[in-house]
Amino acid sequence: MRDLFRLFPLVRKQIVRQPLRSGLTLSGVAVAMFLFCAVEAMRAGVEQATRVTADDTVLVVYRENRYCPFTSRLPQYYGDRIEALPGVLSAVPMKIEVSNCRASLDVVTFRGVPEAAFLEHFVPGFTFVEGSVDDWRNHGGAALVGEALAIRRGVHAGDQLDAAGITVKVAGIIRSTEPQDENVAYTHLSFLQEVSQRGGTGGEVTQFQVKVDDPQKLEAIAQSIDAEFARDSDPTSTRPEKAFVAAAAGDVLEIVRFASWLGWGALAAVFALVANAIVLAVRDRVREHAILETVGFVPRQIGTLIVMEGTILGLLGGIVGAIGALILTQQRFSIGMEGLSIEIASDPSVVLSGLLLSVALGLGAGLVPALRASRRPIATSFRAV
Amino acid sequence: MSLIECRQLTKKYTRGDNEIIPLDELDLSIEAGAFLALMGPSGSGKTTLLNLIAGIDRPTAGELRVEGTDIARLSRSKLARWRSTHIGYIFQLYHLVPVLTAYENVELPLLIQPISRKERHARVAQALELAGIADRHDHYPRQLSGGQEQRVAIARSLVTDPPILLADEPTGDLDRASSKAILELLLRLNTELGKTLIIVTHDPTTTHYAKETLHLEKGRLVSEAPPALAAEVKSAGDGRGERDA
Ligand SMILES: Nc1ncnc2c1ncn2[C@@H]1O[C@H](COP(=O)(O)OP(=O)(O)O)[C@@H](O)[C@H]1O
Ligand SMILES: [Mg+2]
Repeated sequence: MRDLFRLFPLVRKQIVRQPLRSGLTLSGVAVAMFLFCAVEAMRAGVEQATRVTADDTVLVVYRENRYCPFTSRLPQYYGDRIEALPGVLSAVPMKIEVSNCRASLDVVTFRGVPEAAFLEHFVPGFTFVEGSVDDWRNHGGAALVGEALAIRRGVHAGDQLDAAGITVKVAGIIRSTEPQDENVAYTHLSFLQEVSQRGGTGGEVTQFQVKVDDPQKLEAIAQSIDAEFARDSDPTSTRPEKAFVAAAAGDVLEIVRFASWLGWGALAAVFALVANAIVLAVRDRVREHAILETVGFVPRQIGTLIVMEGTILGLLGGIVGAIGALILTQQRFSIGMEGLSIEIASDPSVVLSGLLLSVALGLGAGLVPALRASRRPIATSFRAV
Repeated sequence: MSLIECRQLTKKYTRGDNEIIPLDELDLSIEAGAFLALMGPSGSGKTTLLNLIAGIDRPTAGELRVEGTDIARLSRSKLARWRSTHIGYIFQLYHLVPVLTAYENVELPLLIQPISRKERHARVAQALELAGIADRHDHYPRQLSGGQEQRVAIARSLVTDPPILLADEPTGDLDRASSKAILELLLRLNTELGKTLIIVTHDPTTTHYAKETLHLEKGRLVSEAPPALAAEVKSAGDGRGERDA
């Protein structure tokens, strides 16, 4: 421990006075860290949006064989019939308009909801960042905008939000426990039905959001809903909300998984490069280490110097990369498809594990050369050029 | 007992069937305060002998005692600690650390000693002063001439105040004037500070400064002083006598 303090100034000089070498190593680590954070954030976002957990109680009822909000149309009165089924707590009809039905990084999703059901089932889960629910109620063309969407579009309460040929007034900005809420704008159902140019006026919705009383019965209730409408003109397809997202995002998930592998591959490549840089640096300094031992440094102290240098470069690189990743995720990117979104959010645990990883990377890369340096006989080191 | 005692000291390298014997059953005693010049053709084992005495290499056989310590028996770490206070080593190519200033290079051996920052500073300043290079303390090695670099290296070897200084061809890479200045500096360390000095050299003028000259050939001492050189050494010794007075 005492050694660490004694030797630190020496390590600092090695790092600071060879800015090119240190800079290259450091940026290598930073890039790796950035990749790691980006890939992990994407993976975490997908995980959160698509993995059905044991306490999920939300089902989505969609038109059978339809995959885009443009084409899924269900009569609004289905809501009453769904609510009548055993185990169903509520069925909120929802009209959805999106700026883009394909997978894209900048999709704006409008969800039209009936006021009473919205106030009862959605608003309690919101935190208002700006504005209030009253502003929303008092204005027909108002919208409550998810924080991620608001940041991405740079809108504030009182501004107008334009997308998909629809203009709304931002009445409030909300933060929600439901990841999907972060990327949508909630409007009045009747408003969205009116302004929507495509077909369906009054009485038509895109989907129903159904809450059930017991998560255990989620699947069973989904089946009973589809059975209820099987012989109607508009049969339904009902799935847990997250399974619905997973199905809608199928292609995107494949891409994300692939990107994950690319990210990890790049990470491995960077690790090899950084390790190589440290190995070369140590080889460059074989004689320097022999000098240190000649003037009395014990092998353990020399090994400590090498490992410390790698670790510090790893830590600094990690911090730079983490700052980069944080800046990126401040933009609140989300992959949207078919009116759903997967947010690329870096939560602190991703950044923390990335930092640990970079430190481990620097430490690991220094360890082997350190061991080798401290085993090498000094007399040989002086003879080697 | 002598300060340095070698008995049947042998170093052997075996590579396949090939056997290289840089040092062959060498017997040698060196008294405290000696100024010994070690000469001999290239490959005769001079560096090997210095390295053994400094404990940066280990003998294959024989006995080696320095200040009564059987250094061949010390572990590598113990040896390093022992070396830091007993041996100052001066190399032909100076071997300064390039990213450190003259001051920081000299400070290096003290970083691992349990002394205060103030004391450290005082000792570095004193060593730089002794080596006559105090005015260049904030220069990097690349900003110094060969002679100046060697002065810094000498200051580094002195800073822990070891009783023994070993120099492996310290003037081998220097011009005549710088060589002379370095040799005079080393001589002063011997006469004024009482350092025991062993210098490996190819340069016959070194023998003018040394009190004693030994010749190595194929790992053996050939004779303590060939007759032809003895006269030369004697006259040089006389010259030094004047300076000492
Ligand atoms: N690690 C080693 N392996 C094999 N031979 C060596 C090694 N180190 C030194 N030698 C040999 O030992 C002999 C003496 O070397 P050295 O002491 O450096 O001679 P000098 O300093 O007198 O020129 C040389 O022949 C050299 O090649
Ligand atoms: Mg030699």
